[in-house]
Amino acid sequence: MDMNEIKEIFFQECEEQLAELESGLLKLNDGDRDPETVNAVFRAVHSIKGGAGAFGLDDLVAFAHVFETTLDCVRSNKLEPNHDVLKVMLKSADVLADLVSASRDGGSVDESRTRGLVKELEALAKGELPAGGHEAPKAAPAAPAPKAEAPAPTDDSGFQPIPFTFEGFGDDEEPAIEGATYEITFKPRRELYAKGNEAALLLRDLSRLGEMSINCDMEALPALDKMDPEASYFAWKISLKTTKSEDDIRAVFEFAEWDCELEVKVAEENTSDEELPMTPVPFDLSILDDSAAPAEEEKAAAPAEDPAANAVAAAETATGVAKAVARAAERKEAAAPATPAAAAAAAPQTIRVDLDRVDRLINLVGELVINQAMLSQSVIENDNTGTSSINMGLEELQQLTREIQDSVMAIRAQPVKPVFQRMSRIVREVADMVGKQIRLVTEGENTEVDKTVIDKLAEPLTHMIRNAVDHGIESPEKREAAGKNPEGTIKLSAKHRSGRILIELQDDGAGINRERVRQKAIDNDLIAADANLSDDEIDNLIFMPGFSTADKISDISGRGVGMDVVKRSIQALGGRISISSRPGFGSTFTMSLPLTLAVLDGMVVTVAGQTLVVPLTAIVETLQPETSAIHSFGATQRLISIRNSFCPLVDVGRVLNYRATQANPVEGVALLVESEGGGQRALMVDAIQGQRQVVIKSLEANYTNVPGIAAATILGDGRVALILDVDAVVAASRGQSLKPEMSFAATG
Amino acid sequence: MAASKTGSGTLQLSAVLDLNEASVLHGKLTSMRGSDIVIDASAVERVGAQCAQVLVAGKRAWDEDQKSFLVEKASDAFEKTMQLIGIDTNNLVAKEL
Repeated sequence: MDMNEIKEIFFQECEEQLAELESGLLKLNDGDRDPETVNAVFRAVHSIKGGAGAFGLDDLVAFAHVFETTLDCVRSNKLEPNHDVLKVMLKSADVLADLVSASRDGGSVDESRTRGLVKELEALAKGELPAGGHEAPKAAPAAPAPKAEAPAPTDDSGFQPIPFTFEGFGDDEEPAIEGATYEITFKPRRELYAKGNEAALLLRDLSRLGEMSINCDMEALPALDKMDPEASYFAWKISLKTTKSEDDIRAVFEFAEWDCELEVKVAEENTSDEELPMTPVPFDLSILDDSAAPAEEEKAAAPAEDPAANAVAAAETATGVAKAVARAAERKEAAAPATPAAAAAAAPQTIRVDLDRVDRLINLVGELVINQAMLSQSVIENDNTGTSSINMGLEELQQLTREIQDSVMAIRAQPVKPVFQRMSRIVREVADMVGKQIRLVTEGENTEVDKTVIDKLAEPLTHMIRNAVDHGIESPEKREAAGKNPEGTIKLSAKHRSGRILIELQDDGAGINRERVRQKAIDNDLIAADANLSDDEIDNLIFMPGFSTADKISDISGRGVGMDVVKRSIQALGGRISISSRPGFGSTFTMSLPLTLAVLDGMVVTVAGQTLVVPLTAIVETLQPETSAIHSFGATQRLISIRNSFCPLVDVGRVLNYRATQANPVEGVALLVESEGGGQRALMVDAIQGQRQVVIKSLEANYTNVPGIAAATILGDGRVALILDVDAVVAASRGQSLKPEMSFAATG
Repeated sequence: MAASKTGSGTLQLSAVLDLNEASVLHGKLTSMRGSDIVIDASAVERVGAQCAQVLVAGKRAWDEDQKSFLVEKASDAFEKTMQLIGIDTNNLVAKEL
């Protein structure tokens, strides 16, 4: 495994940690105060920091460190995670995600935003309440902030010192700090140890910078029976005579500075050696060194700076810390089953598998299903009695195959949680942009659906959420005026219903302004000025191409790429979308999607001697037309009257050019389908063979795109059957030619 | 535990006295209270500050009980680290170094 692969795994884990982080923060935001939730959030950031450190992703480490410090205050109950605090933290989680993305894919993050958040986080850690507005970010160093440069006087001008190093100028040429004596006070907190740092190692590293004397302050140490063995009681006063700068001294504590009280100052000039309570005595540290002993000797012989030795020391410390972190993690794991809460939160064991392998397996199982069906069919054909043991064995095989197929499909099934979590970020960001207060409530995040569906769900959902925030929810003032809570709520829920996944997006905004929608539709020539439309029909106008009611084109939505794109994306997934709205109370979008794109429930039909599969999801009902119900309309069009309404008849055989003339509807079967425009059409087929679950085989991948055909499948008898693209066939019947569909790219 | 109230016990310190060991060591010491104790630090390879805290607290508890608390056969690493963090291994008290 090379470094890139390890790094790739790290980024994959980052994704998981980020998801963990966000869901934890959202739980806290909802009032969850379970310490395990706080711990999970802390661990997520800590793990990202740890991994990032190993790969030298300094920006990520620096930010994660500040974030972690503030989270630690929450963990130790020094900071109450109220909404204001969590707002900062959720934003920080977003920035952390951006930093991870930037580290992985290149690109940059908004530095001023990062700096601003660092400042806010630091303020929180210091116990300052978050500022209401967005202050212009001042120069706030993400790295440990040095108080002042070595002998420089204290800066009382009110400016925060900016870190400044003299690296590259050559330390040797700095006579001013040669032999300076620093007084260092170091009081580690419990967290320092908990995070795998070790005071003794830090002191060892410090001692390498020069001549050191140390005084251990044990005053805080309680009696044996009162002490917590994992708490921190010792503090140290250190006197260090060194040629190094204060920055170098602080660098020793780089990964621990937030977990300890650290003071570094230059010893008073007038302090004579006699008055100095501690006389520096060089240590013989050879025993503490595993490998760098020769470097130490060299150092002693030649005090001139040796960056290589420093690097070795740094690397050693890093290794030590990494090991310690690993140990701490092991310990946590070992301790986990002890408490029920921790056990409940423990993730089940997982393995990572390349998606291609899963897809290959799914494909093979698909073949197995087909093969088994073919075998069954030939046995049935050759066994007239239907009682042979082969026949019975085959039935068992069929059941097993079905189970294998279900299990394999379950491998691809993923909870919708990651997509939902992405939405919460979008809500936050868009709400911030438009100055609204919005809370996203999610339900059923653990509902599972095929990965392909999940991947394709994000875009339309993002679009809808943006719309809901931008147009759906009113401004806080308007809400208050209407007697509503100024904070709007968007509810995103997922559930399984009859073999499909149902996703609902509900807002408690103003609902659809039907008058405006209607006017807009008239203005855009979508409907006639005198059209008589029901409320539902008006609501559904928003799914018409090019429809946008936004008064002003904003950055967020309303660029004319509207809900029609959303609808087409959902339909491309084999799903349906509908809207219901109550003026003043909000709107609800309901999406019903197949659980997988690999298998499909279809109705197997015959058209002009060909076998076709029509997706069941598209079919509303089937009926046998009677002569009296068929009406001619114009030269070629025919309508069928169904319960006092007329529905255009579409001869599938004609549209697909299977036959030259239209078939007699009375001799066939009509499938009432709902198509893209929301309207219904009656598809004429010759006969229905039955319903079947079929394995979808992509035509694009195996052959080429065929207009009017969505995909293909292999039937039990080994024949290939084409799966009908209902929308394309309906569109063709309206006079549009059957052309290869453009891919639906929902933008905006 | 093994130590009786009247006799004396020997506590063999682990090689690695880190964060994980602090609670273990604390538990062992607590269970051995009331009798003289000899700490065998000959196998110690690494000492963390938290175990040092436990040892110092232990020494104080034994002093209070007027029992003897003796560190014997300290390894070089034990001596050096205790010295580094400013603890006199003989008396387990702060020692300015």
